[in-house]
Amino acid sequence: MMHPSVEAFTLAAGLLALGSALVHRLGFPPLPIYLLIGLLVGQRLPVEELEPLPSLGLLLLLFSVGLEFGPDRLREVSGKALRAGGYDALALPLGFGLGLLAGLDWRGAALLAGVIYASSSAVIVKLIVDLRRAANPESEVVLGILVLEDLVVALLLALLGGEGAWGLLGGLGLALLYLLFARFLGPVLVRFVETLSDELVLLLGAAFTAGTALLFHAVGASEGVGAFLAGVVAAALGLRERLESLFGPVRDLGVALFFLVVGAEALPLLQDLTPLGVGLTLLGLLLKLPLNHLGSARAGLSPKRRLYSAFYLVPRGEFNLVLGTLALAQGYPLVSQVAVLLVLLSIPLGALLIHQAPNLWGLFPKPRGKAAGASPRG
Amino acid sequence: MRVEEAVLPGVGRKFTITVSSGDRLVIVVHHSGKRELQYFEGPAEEPTAALDLTDEEARELGAILAGVLFHPEAVGDTQSKLGQKVIEWLRVLPGSPLVGKRVESLSLPEGAHLLAVDRPGAPLIPHPAPDTVLEVGDTLVVAGTREAVEALKRSL
Repeated sequence: MMHPSVEAFTLAAGLLALGSALVHRLGFPPLPIYLLIGLLVGQRLPVEELEPLPSLGLLLLLFSVGLEFGPDRLREVSGKALRAGGYDALALPLGFGLGLLAGLDWRGAALLAGVIYASSSAVIVKLIVDLRRAANPESEVVLGILVLEDLVVALLLALLGGEGAWGLLGGLGLALLYLLFARFLGPVLVRFVETLSDELVLLLGAAFTAGTALLFHAVGASEGVGAFLAGVVAAALGLRERLESLFGPVRDLGVALFFLVVGAEALPLLQDLTPLGVGLTLLGLLLKLPLNHLGSARAGLSPKRRLYSAFYLVPRGEFNLVLGTLALAQGYPLVSQVAVLLVLLSIPLGALLIHQAPNLWGLFPKPRGKAAGASPRG
Repeated sequence: MRVEEAVLPGVGRKFTITVSSGDRLVIVVHHSGKRELQYFEGPAEEPTAALDLTDEEARELGAILAGVLFHPEAVGDTQSKLGQKVIEWLRVLPGSPLVGKRVESLSLPEGAHLLAVDRPGAPLIPHPAPDTVLEVGDTLVVAGTREAVEALKRSL
């Protein structure tokens, strides 16, 4: 007797493969298509049957983000990128103000601020690699900004995750414990971890990630932060390269299914969407463009690269969905709707903007003489 | 030549190499092992040329650039400088006193070491065992102090 989930998995994987093949021909990144497929066929697809792969996909995604964008990266990122990150972080107070204006209380407004602020490292890294832009100067600045963003959002999530004083203390205390472990005990254990076999690292890593998520959930904090901090600890143990290659394929499969499920589950949530929700989403989309344009200028990028880097930071993703789930659980359906709608709109829009950035730059009016010299090849 | 290194979280590492002519080469080493090379002419903002290499190709290219793979047939002897130590590739020619000799019976000068034997059509023999018998066409990879290696060359 075959388990019914095999059928659902076959259907889902087949659809994703089809979508991926379609956009591959056009040289376009596949993530937006996964969302779109979810939106189109979600109602007919038994998405619950796919569990635990999509949930695991999100946890592994956040783990990877922690692995690559942990606080230890702050030392490696250049000062100019951090300056640009400061401008980018202005989205937080602006988002908070928007939330208060929309009639939310301070907690709801803070959640909305996070939703507007957090660009998706996972999506942006994938876009940079897929579109072969890693060597460009703006990529360095954008990735530096993302290091700062992920750290701030993780702290915000730890703060907002728990209900009441105990939840708050539990989440923050646990987060602090993990950070201290990564900072002080990790380097001591590197030698020991090096002796472990790949098989053991894979299994221990999986148990550690899922276990940390469970632990954070148990104290009333966000399990997403748990997975992120598990990644930070793994990086401190010197496992960055090993886990990246060991987890990579499983994560990519899980993430593809996760985005499919997000698309599928978005429709019921967005059914009672108000004009206020749409307005907040559009403002959220636009708000960061001028901030990042300004920040990139401060980071010393040329006008063309400023435009590129502002486009790069459009896509929202993993942290928006974590914040959205949290907002829904804490009774802020409006914030949750904005979070999901932002993801649905910003990933395709961002991918399109980044893909078409060279052509769009050509449309911009440029100061005469200087433009011709700056880019002789257009 | 100026080399700048930058971390690209989630992607890999970026090296920007500016050579004396002012042209730049940007190399991105991806976590996946892929290498992305871009060549910029002077201050140009867009690359003139781009090249993707697999990990294996990149290593081979690196070895060629470093002069390690430079085969002795082309220009005779090749020396790779490691400060006062040198590495030398010595071909066993027909009629050489080395033909048919076992590695253990080689009388290497003090300070010279046999690292490997490269036999055409066979995998490289690293740290050759004492009972390895040398054949015509073999290339001996010898390392040691300059004097010792020069002395060995003269004795052949």
